[in-house]
Amino acid sequence: MQDFWIRLKDDIALTDRLMILCALTLSMWGVFCVYSAGAGIMGRGFDLAFRQSMWLLVSVIAMLIIMYVGHRKMLEGAYPLYGLMLLFLLLTDIFAPKVKGAQSWLGVGSLRVQPSEFAKIAIILMMSKFLTRYPPLDIKTFLAGLGVISLPVLLVLLQPDAGSALVYLVISFGMLVAAGTPFKFLGTIVGLGLSAIPILIMFALKEYQKNRILVFLDPMRDPLGAGYNVIQSRIAVGSGGVYGKGYMMGTQSKLKFLPEPHTDFIFSVFSEEFGFIGNLILILMFALLLFRITLTGIRSKDRRCKILTAGVASWLWFQMFESIGMSIGLTPVTGLPLPFLSYGGSSMLAIFMALGLVASVYIEGAERKF
Amino acid sequence: MEILDSRLKLFMYCMTASLLILISGLYFCQIYQSDKYVRLAHINRLRMIRFPAPRGEIFDRNGVPLAVNDTTFCIMGYPLDLNTPEKLEHLSKILMRHGIPISIEDLQKTIKQQRIAPYRVMKIVPNLTMTQMAELVADYDFPRELFPLSVWRRTYPAGTVAANILGYVGEISERELEARSEEGYVGGDLIGKSGIERSYESILRGSPGQEALEVDARGRRVRTLDANPAVKGEDLHLTLDMGAQKLAVELLKNWKGAVVAMDVKTGEVLAIASSPVYDNNPLTWGISGREWSAMINDPNRPMLDRAIAGVYPPASTFKAFMSIASLEENSITQSSMYSCRGGLRFGSHLFKCWKHSGHGGLNVIGALQHSCDVFFYQVGLKTGIDKLIKWGRKFHLGEPTGIDLPGESGGNIAGAEWKMRRFNRQWGNGDTINYSIGQGYMLMTPIQIARVYAAIANGGKMVTPHLNIKGYKTPENIGLNPEKLEIVRRGLEAVVSRGTGSRAGRFGVKVAGKTGTAQNSHGDDHALFAGYAPADDPKYVAVAVIEGGKHGSSVAGPIVGQMLAHLLSH
Repeated sequence: MQDFWIRLKDDIALTDRLMILCALTLSMWGVFCVYSAGAGIMGRGFDLAFRQSMWLLVSVIAMLIIMYVGHRKMLEGAYPLYGLMLLFLLLTDIFAPKVKGAQSWLGVGSLRVQPSEFAKIAIILMMSKFLTRYPPLDIKTFLAGLGVISLPVLLVLLQPDAGSALVYLVISFGMLVAAGTPFKFLGTIVGLGLSAIPILIMFALKEYQKNRILVFLDPMRDPLGAGYNVIQSRIAVGSGGVYGKGYMMGTQSKLKFLPEPHTDFIFSVFSEEFGFIGNLILILMFALLLFRITLTGIRSKDRRCKILTAGVASWLWFQMFESIGMSIGLTPVTGLPLPFLSYGGSSMLAIFMALGLVASVYIEGAERKF
Repeated sequence: MEILDSRLKLFMYCMTASLLILISGLYFCQIYQSDKYVRLAHINRLRMIRFPAPRGEIFDRNGVPLAVNDTTFCIMGYPLDLNTPEKLEHLSKILMRHGIPISIEDLQKTIKQQRIAPYRVMKIVPNLTMTQMAELVADYDFPRELFPLSVWRRTYPAGTVAANILGYVGEISERELEARSEEGYVGGDLIGKSGIERSYESILRGSPGQEALEVDARGRRVRTLDANPAVKGEDLHLTLDMGAQKLAVELLKNWKGAVVAMDVKTGEVLAIASSPVYDNNPLTWGISGREWSAMINDPNRPMLDRAIAGVYPPASTFKAFMSIASLEENSITQSSMYSCRGGLRFGSHLFKCWKHSGHGGLNVIGALQHSCDVFFYQVGLKTGIDKLIKWGRKFHLGEPTGIDLPGESGGNIAGAEWKMRRFNRQWGNGDTINYSIGQGYMLMTPIQIARVYAAIANGGKMVTPHLNIKGYKTPENIGLNPEKLEIVRRGLEAVVSRGTGSRAGRFGVKVAGKTGTAQNSHGDDHALFAGYAPADDPKYVAVAVIEGGKHGSSVAGPIVGQMLAHLLSH
């Protein structure tokens, strides 16, 4: 037991504390934002903020555990974890109750989790191991890599959870880039993806998803329906101005017409109250976090770890970019949570677990220096 | 390896570029176009109003309204329309002009209490009549940002007659809000605080409505954007018979005590009165702290429902139970005779009979008829406390009856084990002797006594007393021997036809029952009577407990007799 504490202390001393500090600061700022956002919806602010802080505590402990166990052991278990993940996604498809039209929650007693969030970690572990073992340098291994990712993507699309599927694709794409896939392969993929968009819009997307995209192109086309959120969110952000209206003083963002102010539109709440200056600080902190993750990868001497950090970085980058972009109408509405700030236990837990992996990679690099 | 590192560096360039795009987007939105959005935010103000749902109404078994909703008016407004002292002063002046005494300080206090967010609507002035509201709105100076909202107010037409049953509603407390956070309550909501209002809160409550509206810069409604109407709670019909209830309250008027009347077969409660009474109407409208503390600190405790929460020694009414237990345990038969010479010497102590001259030789019927204590002392000793407790448990003594009212007491079944636990003393024969006449540690509520007598009347089935007309539960058969039960019933008939309870039988119906006089160390003895009628084919059971009523026969008996006569004739 004493050994455990000593090693944990060593690990914390050796790891990238700046990265962890960034993550913690963002999360605590998030708790305050959730309180402010929750105050608007039926006065549930305290309740939501309290739960969020409990989840933060659990997440930090999970991060420390993963860091202690180490990325090597986690990578060893990548194949079984991948299999387990597929099983859970399948179970969710079959059993999960419908929450607002998407069945992404799996209940265990009173605890409800979203397997699709934890699947991201399994995908990252699996892909870093697979792409190291079979570098995607020729067409055969490249297609095999695509095969690995297509299974979970299909399973979450069945839920239907297009947002998660998109994140999986971006994570895998980032990992393929980092694994040194020739640009002609990557270019072909992007080209095929872009040319498939009109076909997707015509056939595969649900009505509400089509609406979101059309509204993205022209929010005024449905100002009281789907476009309303975009307009209200933009007004919230815009009226924040340089300095913001002050904490808890937002008028726009807390209206119930910003749907899910504590989850999807948390950034609108944030930027209305903290303004451009607050946004700048927020984005710089995200940038610092992302850079530290990528630098950890560059520093590592293990191919698998380089690919792994690329996966984590693409994940956080994409959700941040999409969530902030959505609130000012730069990207279509997808309903992806903003990492660290949006209310939601599964998402926060999964992100901190991923940071645990990165922290463990960093420790290995640090040890080699001596 | 090099290619991987160069790819990761490429990552960093791409991320930097994307973040710069975000920053420029935010710059464009928050600085370049800021004025436009600030203006939009200002003129395009959305506001949310929450409409409380009208509460389900409560009726008695014949449809007599017991709890209804009256419409009153409130003045509603938003914190951001009342943010300067001048505005408050203006409002206060107008209110005073129309005879509504609300000072600036009052307004400030109200706003401070309710403020959550600038756009959240608040109740500025509650409880106005239609006339008051009309006058105010017609006043040219009335601030247009404020608006009237009609809300319901709970009224109990029966007032003091059924206050102990219905309870009252009040604003939800911090603690209730916390405990019921999952159920969608918000501060300022009304919630059932006691009685039926509390036990059927979830049915009566309904679901609140909500409206989102757009207002202009001066706060006037431009249009409704979204609304879902409030859904009224479900109405509730009670088993209560207001005629019987009124009579019960009337009969109790000069006393402290309780009266219960119940259907012997179903457990439907027809009357359940507790005296002294209180009025639940002012509680619903909100009373001052001083009035409230006067009410709860009143030494007569009007808020205590004595019928379900008042615990009394059952006294001689317990002798019916004693007879059943002893007959069932075969410690006596119908022909077992004991003689009473006015007392029983046990050890160094003389346990007296209430009739100091003694009753002579008696069997169980005679002992019930004359309420002979010495007979039951001996029967109790012979049967033994453990067997009595065993039978007590069959009759669910010491447990709440499960009536659908909050705050029911279970009384106390006592017994050897209990005494050891409570006082760390052995249960002695003296305790058993006292127990045999329903004195000492044994305590029961009037509703418990009624339940036991209902079981005697219906052939040994324990009903669940209930007030909700849909609250019937199949009674539990405790398996009494019908012949032995018949002996006890003949004894109870004799009590009224030619024994101590004859005054209960003077109201034209054939009553069977038992008197009781409970020793009270604080003052005059309590008078009890438990009975059912008609004696041959019982329909109703009634129990009266009169604190300080001295003798069960003189006060409590006639009350039960009149209750039963009323129920049978209507």
